[in-house]
Amino acid sequence: MSEITTDYSKNKAFLIDMTKCTGCRGCQVACKQWNQLDAEKTEFFTGEGYQNPPLMSEHTFTRIKFRDYQKNGQNEFAFYKEMCMHCNEPACASVCPVGAFKKTKEGPVTYDAKRCIGCRFCMVACPFGVPKYEWSKALPLVRKCTGCYSRIKEGQKPACATTCPAAITYGNRGDLIKEASKRIASRPEKYLKKLYGEEEAGGTSVIYLTALPFDELGFKHVTKRPLPSYTWQALRLVPGIFLTVGGSLSLLSWFTHRKERLKKEAEQRDASGNAPKEES
Amino acid sequence: MTNHWIDLKNADAILAIGCNPAENHPISFKWIEQAMDNGGKLLAVDPRFTRTASKADHYAQIRPGTDIAYLGGMINYTLQNNLTHQEYVVEYTNASFIVNDKFDFNEGLFCAFDDAEKTYDAKAWAYEVDGAGLPKRDKSLQDPRCVYQQLKKHYSRYTIDMVCSITGTNKEDYLAVAKAFCATGRPDKAGTILYAMGITQSTHGTQNVRATAMLQMLLGNIGIAGGGVNALRGESNVQGSTDYGLLFHILPGYLKSPEFDNVDLKGYLEKWTPKTKDKKSANWWGNTPKYTVSLLKAWYGDNATKENDFCYDYLPKRSGNYSFMKLMEKMGKGELQGLVCMGQNPAVGGPDSLKTREALAKLDWLVTVDLWETETSIFWKRPGVNPKEIKTEVFMLPAASSIEKEGSISNSGRWAQWRYKAVEPVGDSKTDLWIIDQFAKRLKKSYEKGGVFPEPITKLAWNYGQGEEPEVQLVAKEINGYFTKDMTIVDKDKTLEFKKGDQVPMFKYLQDDGSTVSGCWIYCGSFTKDGNQMARRDATDLPNGLGMFPKWAWCWPVNRRIIYNRASVNPDGVPFNPKRAVIAWDLLEKKWKGDVPDGPWPPMKDDKEGKYPFIMVPEGHGRLYALDLKDGPFPEHYEPIESPARNLMSKVQTNPAVKVPANMSNDMAKYPFVGTTYRMTEHWQAGAMTRSLPWLVELVPSMFVEISETLAKTKGISNGDLVRVTSMRGTVEAKALVTARLKPFNVQGKLVEQVGLPWHFGYAGVAKGDSGNVLTPSVGCANTSIPEFKAFLCNIEKGGKRA
Repeated sequence: MSEITTDYSKNKAFLIDMTKCTGCRGCQVACKQWNQLDAEKTEFFTGEGYQNPPLMSEHTFTRIKFRDYQKNGQNEFAFYKEMCMHCNEPACASVCPVGAFKKTKEGPVTYDAKRCIGCRFCMVACPFGVPKYEWSKALPLVRKCTGCYSRIKEGQKPACATTCPAAITYGNRGDLIKEASKRIASRPEKYLKKLYGEEEAGGTSVIYLTALPFDELGFKHVTKRPLPSYTWQALRLVPGIFLTVGGSLSLLSWFTHRKERLKKEAEQRDASGNAPKEES
Repeated sequence: MTNHWIDLKNADAILAIGCNPAENHPISFKWIEQAMDNGGKLLAVDPRFTRTASKADHYAQIRPGTDIAYLGGMINYTLQNNLTHQEYVVEYTNASFIVNDKFDFNEGLFCAFDDAEKTYDAKAWAYEVDGAGLPKRDKSLQDPRCVYQQLKKHYSRYTIDMVCSITGTNKEDYLAVAKAFCATGRPDKAGTILYAMGITQSTHGTQNVRATAMLQMLLGNIGIAGGGVNALRGESNVQGSTDYGLLFHILPGYLKSPEFDNVDLKGYLEKWTPKTKDKKSANWWGNTPKYTVSLLKAWYGDNATKENDFCYDYLPKRSGNYSFMKLMEKMGKGELQGLVCMGQNPAVGGPDSLKTREALAKLDWLVTVDLWETETSIFWKRPGVNPKEIKTEVFMLPAASSIEKEGSISNSGRWAQWRYKAVEPVGDSKTDLWIIDQFAKRLKKSYEKGGVFPEPITKLAWNYGQGEEPEVQLVAKEINGYFTKDMTIVDKDKTLEFKKGDQVPMFKYLQDDGSTVSGCWIYCGSFTKDGNQMARRDATDLPNGLGMFPKWAWCWPVNRRIIYNRASVNPDGVPFNPKRAVIAWDLLEKKWKGDVPDGPWPPMKDDKEGKYPFIMVPEGHGRLYALDLKDGPFPEHYEPIESPARNLMSKVQTNPAVKVPANMSNDMAKYPFVGTTYRMTEHWQAGAMTRSLPWLVELVPSMFVEISETLAKTKGISNGDLVRVTSMRGTVEAKALVTARLKPFNVQGKLVEQVGLPWHFGYAGVAKGDSGNVLTPSVGCANTSIPEFKAFLCNIEKGGKRA
């Protein structure tokens, strides 16, 4: 796969300039509204600053991670928007035995629930930890940001990009990389001289600009080699077992969660509790 | 705002003081970021390191309530370093005006103070006038009694050392901000000041705002693109509500509400119509009679005639202060029978809110109009109260939300934008207009059967259609105004013919003889024969590219996007900064190009018709020295009523024109910390609109307080611990957010910690908790009575109320 060179410059992509993000979290709410996702039950903040909810999940496709710390005696109050990176060569799609994931020609990596068998290989394969499982459901599926594919097809921008006051620019990947490089060149004192997503995991449709080092903001170190080049070699040999393993896992999950589900139904719907811990 | 949101992109320096645009006006950052991309500097002055501060080029910490010291220091810095825009100051401000020789300032007090009444006699601050009755001037600014020299003397006391020991600001940070901002005194530079409640909510709030305006005038920053004094309004339509006379002391269009001794229309107009003998002064408020009569015609229609003073007698005449705090005080004494709260939640939003909640029980009846149950509407079943003991009859009317109704909203930049109904109201909820219409119709019917003084209600003109839902377009048309008879008006070389019922094209055609109607003169021009101007959506900018978009919506006054724009050009009409020309006089065509100029007259230098740029004051010059405020012609630093510091500027500790009520305490042993309240991005005001929305509740689920790492250590508090915060007024319980973003203040060499409290919360809705306003003091600004929410004393202890 990796030997085929594809031009991704016309793909729709996000340029997220974290130096312009004010952490208003309009993107988080717009995402939940467009995708009609449930609110998570929170009690205080679950991370630094005002961070909430605690995790990316089946109910949370994007969120702002807060950093609230001191560096060289100066305050830093910084933000990082977590979301699906819509890789040029997505690992999730390459490992999916039933082809539920698809890299669309427009750019977004979409997911077809009808095909999904719940094997969760995508969750293991994704270097960014994006696909999430519907642990709360009887017949769980995998869920993640769709890049608002339904909006893109209608010529609209994704919900988060539409609502964001200043930090997200949406457009062709090639143009955005040029724009990002221009910003770095025009204000070299402000920006880190690197675009996250230009090469990570073989290149993604989400490109970040920051002022602070990426690891300080919580970005993951990811190889520059396209991920399918790792996974495909192994996985293409064992599709049969794969299917079986996937099927068994789903069944297992159904049983494990049956108990929890019954308990939940007995109680009030909102009393499920068990707020998950922050993952680092 | 003198300018508007998009115009922020034109600034070279943006001083955000007493506001937090990143959190409370997120969309503003679209334009602030553009300014910064073009090299503009963002300067944030705030007690806390906020989300705005995190984006700023320079952040300076300030102790709450010391803004006059801060800004006074910047005024002094500008004057000492000759950074003023000299031509602007001489020609357009009252710097050259001579003050009468009795004027004096001594030991923290201006002359003519009555200590028993706590009032000044402002007449003692008047200008000295010449034989023709015009103020005397010295354009060389050398006369020791001219405003400029008085100003220089007054603020010479505000040295950087002095100022920093009052505000607690680190000297380096202070200088960085002063240097970056005061550099905009150059004609080719623009600096804007953004402010919000951090400036206004103070016992000297009006003087805080004045200090921003004075600094801007000295730097020549008012009237220009990227400049101005810009109030970031706290609600999407709060500009509109002020424009239409929401406050007790004004009628629609900022006309004065009549006082008890304005016994008839003549007396009222005499008192409130300013006069000038200077032909070069436009003195726009000289039109007060036209606007007042047109307003009365809107209210009383054909019943309002010249013979009956256009029904002026029907207007209530006030004696004294009817501000929010006074009303609550009266309510607590059982002096109010009923209260209607439309989209207002005083049980959370007002100061000393425990008192307000108790006071609500003294009412016979209470009507609340809101989207959800509010703390006010369920005060009778709040925690700790036995509903059986409360006799107040409570009516809850469900209101339609902004997307369920049609109408206009006026944003901070004075743009009135028309909105359409997107969906039908949920359940039985009704539009505010329907509710008011029903109130009026039913009241009229009741009073038609008789009453002590029924005419003010029964004679009201009330013609908004025959349908169940009043026609909002008819309301908008009446606000704009129309002719009540056929008219011929000669305007310079044009003769204009109008028919009875025609819309008035702009307010210069309004009349004082009853031939025109206008519900709010400043909106005259918003709905003309060309239709609803507020509904325009043409996104074409002017050739100057300054982002004025003159055909997008409509902006008062007369679609002028930057007010006082005649101050952006020199007396010949040539822009001070040709690269960002707001208006320019075209010599060939003999007319202004660009934005709608502040009046049609030729440039100021024109001997026959030229006018001064500050058209709303009778002397036509921006006031570095004010004549009509209750607490002095120059802003002077006083401490907040509850303060950890002694006033270093004078022996007068707090604003002398403010009476200090009983439940205040400066006992630092009991209340050793500075408390300050604020809003979050994620919730809205008293929370009625947001605390029931799960997606927002998820983000900020309950009340919390912010404290520094050092205070946390002293008190043994860890992040997320339950704490209780107490002031003289009450105690709140909350979880503690421990953060390095809050730091103690340096108060005269001693470190004083701060406790930051959001005030959105209450016992209704989904996101619950105590309101920060349980702690805030019920004392307000000498001029406006806005409460001092931002600075008070408190204590914090680990553990909840029941711990």
